[in-house]
Amino acid sequence: MLQGILAAAAIVVISPFTMFINFFYRKEEERELRQKIANIRDLSPGSYIYFSYPQTGDPKVDNDPFRQYVLIMTHDGQLRVYSRVCVHLWCLPAYIPTKGQLICPCHGSIYRESDGVAVDGPAAYQSYPTNALPMGRVEVDNNGDIWMVGVEGRIGYGREWRNVKPEDLVKRV
Amino acid sequence: MSSSARSMRELVNNLWRWTVDRLERTTIVVYKFTVPKQYVSPFGYLGTLTAIVFAILGVSGAFLMFYYRPDVELAYLSVKEIQEKVPFGFIMRNIHYHASNLMVLLAVLHLYYQYFSGRYKIKNEVLWVTGVILGVLTVLEAYTGYNLIMNQRAMLAVNIGMGLTFSAPILGPSVAPIFLGGGLFDLVIRFYALHVFILPLLMLLLAAVHFPRALIMDFPVISAVVGVIFISAGLFPAELGIKFDLTRGIVEVPEWYLTAIYAFLRAGTERFTAGALLPLLFVILFLIVPFVDRSRKLSWKDRPFFTGLGVASIALIAITTVWGFYVDFSKETAFDQLYVEPTLFYSTIGGVTLVSFYATYFYMSRQKRGVRPPPTRPIMLSPKTSTSLMITLLVFIAGAVAATFYTYSINLPNHSMFYLGIAFFLFGLLLHIYRHSLSVEERLKAQKQQQKAEITNQ
Repeated sequence: MLQGILAAAAIVVISPFTMFINFFYRKEEERELRQKIANIRDLSPGSYIYFSYPQTGDPKVDNDPFRQYVLIMTHDGQLRVYSRVCVHLWCLPAYIPTKGQLICPCHGSIYRESDGVAVDGPAAYQSYPTNALPMGRVEVDNNGDIWMVGVEGRIGYGREWRNVKPEDLVKRV
Repeated sequence: MSSSARSMRELVNNLWRWTVDRLERTTIVVYKFTVPKQYVSPFGYLGTLTAIVFAILGVSGAFLMFYYRPDVELAYLSVKEIQEKVPFGFIMRNIHYHASNLMVLLAVLHLYYQYFSGRYKIKNEVLWVTGVILGVLTVLEAYTGYNLIMNQRAMLAVNIGMGLTFSAPILGPSVAPIFLGGGLFDLVIRFYALHVFILPLLMLLLAAVHFPRALIMDFPVISAVVGVIFISAGLFPAELGIKFDLTRGIVEVPEWYLTAIYAFLRAGTERFTAGALLPLLFVILFLIVPFVDRSRKLSWKDRPFFTGLGVASIALIAITTVWGFYVDFSKETAFDQLYVEPTLFYSTIGGVTLVSFYATYFYMSRQKRGVRPPPTRPIMLSPKTSTSLMITLLVFIAGAVAATFYTYSINLPNHSMFYLGIAFFLFGLLLHIYRHSLSVEERLKAQKQQQKAEITNQ
């Protein structure tokens, strides 16, 4: 009986510390930011823009690789936003418009512009879902402004590209 | 109790015994932890409490390192971020800040209790000397810690600290650059290295020597100490201060454990003398006490000279600490506000010290040892009373914890820390009553056995 009361009191008094787990996570709001990237009228098939998201104005934070993205208008005229962090060893692949591919400078992983899936190089030999670049969720409004609103997948890790089609990540609002 | 529950308990007990048996092969069992079965005076184990607060500081400090940036420009901003943006950062910082104050306080109390009860004798000289050094390191650890914020208060302390190091004779000019490096950008990261690694490492090494073989773990009091940290954090939340600005003269005073030194500086005493030589003399005084006081008497009542010395040192610390804090805001310039009239200052502290020494000395030497008061009858709560008391306390603890959650949810983190402190305090009381009821149970059992034995004898 007494032991039971003691145990109950101990659990009650310790319970607030379980909330401390939140200390280790940066706040969620930051990831929900809606940020304008470009206007669709300034883009043509094969053009691309490198940008950082979420942008803070602090160059030390904005230059972080985990915040680097590329907006691409593919040769089919589709909009795509990819994380620039290679899922192999975290180098920054560059978009090569002439090939329609993202090519990593370090070990030569090659990603398709249409869905960000690795087709060649070390990244292509990684198992699903670690063989595709994470994608940005994008909204295009009536003015043609392109907004990034979120991320699909885990940066530097991969994306479950069989579940979510890339065209579903681009919405017109 | 069902048989499955019993076998479960047996399994846990066996596993525990098995582990303890294997730990016999390691050095960890050198320290014997004793859990007192009834109330003992916390003064006897203030050292253990200091070590526990040190452990709390280690954990909370390690977590603060996740967000702190030791950079001259970013340091203040990162602390501001911890304080204002990071979830539970405000609470984590308050735990760390108030635990640091409590550690200094507990260390000082520990020193004086051991001093007055003559514990530095009876082959304890090594314990005493390592303890005094640990005390100095504790203050240095606190000093480097509060400088990491790089606010106005930190800059004042850094300025004084570097100044007195530079003005040290012979060694000064070659020692100071070790801390200062190429400027503030180096200094902040060097203080960081000292604060999070070098000084704690030295303290742990010294503590390994300083710990006596038997450590008293009194859980009710430990719980209350945790409660004190939270309650003081709730009542006096740690402030951020103003970011250091080299174009503005802002009147600041250091943390309370350094205002005694600050009082001397404000009286115009030369920096090295005030900040290093006088404190060093004080420390040396404590260091040599066991080698001067060779009498076999332990109690403070039998050693009027050393009791007088101790009381005089407390008076000196108290008056200089308060004087260092006092700022006369009726004056116009910052210089005038902080200026302490040296003749008044020195005559007062000299007078107070001498008077307190002589008063204590003569009072103590005239005093005859009185008869000890007869032992009071121990309080014995009946099992029923303790059970109902524990249930009541449980209800109050639940209420306090509910208030903790609620006040946090409406964005009043300091209130929530206060309520959590109350919960810990009550939990300590609950633990104490639990312990008490166990001892009562044992006593009743012994009584019954005695009665049985008497009956069989007849």
